[in-house]
Amino acid sequence: MILQILQDALFAAIAAIGFAAISRPPRRAYLYCAIIAAVGHSTRFIMMHEQFFSMNIVLATFLASFFVGSLAVFLSPVARTPAETCLFPALLPMIPGIYAYKSFGGLAMCIFGNDESSFSHYFYLFAQNGLTCLFILLGMVIGATIPIFIFKKVSFQATR
Amino acid sequence: MYPATAEMSMSMMTKISDTAVSPTGGLCSRELCRFLSRYGAWLLGSGATCIRLEKNMKRIADAYGKEVELTVMPRHIHVTVYEPGRNDMTTAISSVQATAISFNINTMLSRLSWEVADRKISFAEAERQFEQIITSDTQNRWLVLLLVTLANASFCRLFGGDAVAMAIVAIATAAGYYLKQLLLGRGADVRVVFLVCSFVSSILGATDSLFSIGATPEIAIGTSVLYLVPGIPFLNSFSDMLYRHYICAYSRFADAVVLTACLSTGLCAGMSLMHVGMF
Repeated sequence: MILQILQDALFAAIAAIGFAAISRPPRRAYLYCAIIAAVGHSTRFIMMHEQFFSMNIVLATFLASFFVGSLAVFLSPVARTPAETCLFPALLPMIPGIYAYKSFGGLAMCIFGNDESSFSHYFYLFAQNGLTCLFILLGMVIGATIPIFIFKKVSFQATR
Repeated sequence: MYPATAEMSMSMMTKISDTAVSPTGGLCSRELCRFLSRYGAWLLGSGATCIRLEKNMKRIADAYGKEVELTVMPRHIHVTVYEPGRNDMTTAISSVQATAISFNINTMLSRLSWEVADRKISFAEAERQFEQIITSDTQNRWLVLLLVTLANASFCRLFGGDAVAMAIVAIATAAGYYLKQLLLGRGADVRVVFLVCSFVSSILGATDSLFSIGATPEIAIGTSVLYLVPGIPFLNSFSDMLYRHYICAYSRFADAVVLTACLSTGLCAGMSLMHVGMF
């Protein structure tokens, strides 16, 4: 079990470094992105796992984001970067990409479906995936922003 | 973030005061206004949130003894600079810099605002540092390609893909991201680029199910396009929403949704060409 959690953390860290590279962070931020992403994704993994809390993905993402948001606020003065430079790339592995495109796929299939039951099925896929995606994003940003808001002094003075 | 090539932002200055130097002997509002409008255009263009833009610009203006008011629109920024207790006001409107998202520029510009506020560096020095920051942002594209490839392969693992799926996703990502760099470098429209890249990546990602070589073919094709998901615009959008910058939030969200729609279209086209069902 611990091995599974560590594996989740490791792959999340690699994913965060790679996806962070697309949005050009300063070089010293990579390490912090990787740490924050590893902690965040494995926290969510633990909370969603049926052996522990088997939590809903939206709630788990919210709590994990809150946790890593607090971590990022206190790591960013060490890294001398704004909090979101470490935080946003680290959240990328939790972005609900699959929900996002499944939702569009469902929408497209709605048009091509020719009877009521298939339309309902695809509309259900569209709405279910779309809403999940939206709420994950909302939970993620609110969760990650609350610490920045609470510790305003620290987070906006990180590059001082 | 739309066109990938950098173009000069245009500033339009409204002249209200004719004084070149402030009567108090310090920096005149017009100079500061011109600087702040370019500063804002670059900061917003490199993917900063609205709240950071406001804070940094107010900090710089404060340090030079001025007040600044700004309107942040999705593609333009209005900056008004004035000196407390005087009637002179200067307004500048600048187009948001069309550049790629860069947290490096974001960080350096934020630091510049603190240099101005804490170390009281001169205006000329601030301008010099600004020019240096916006021209020094370089990145090794091959390294990025490698990192993105590894990232998407490990992402595949997070979703439960096996080693074969990871390898296929790595190939699909490397090809797709290379194509993305190539097309964006030639100035292609970013929406077309997303469509083409997701099409190519999904076809390569379908190898697994086509030849039935791995145990998790549906995960391979599903994750092969995930490197394209515009995560930072989505995050910025919701962040702006929380700080009540609804117009910017909506605009960034619309941008991200359009890109996601292009990605999905490419993916669906690729999957139907390869006769792979998703639903």
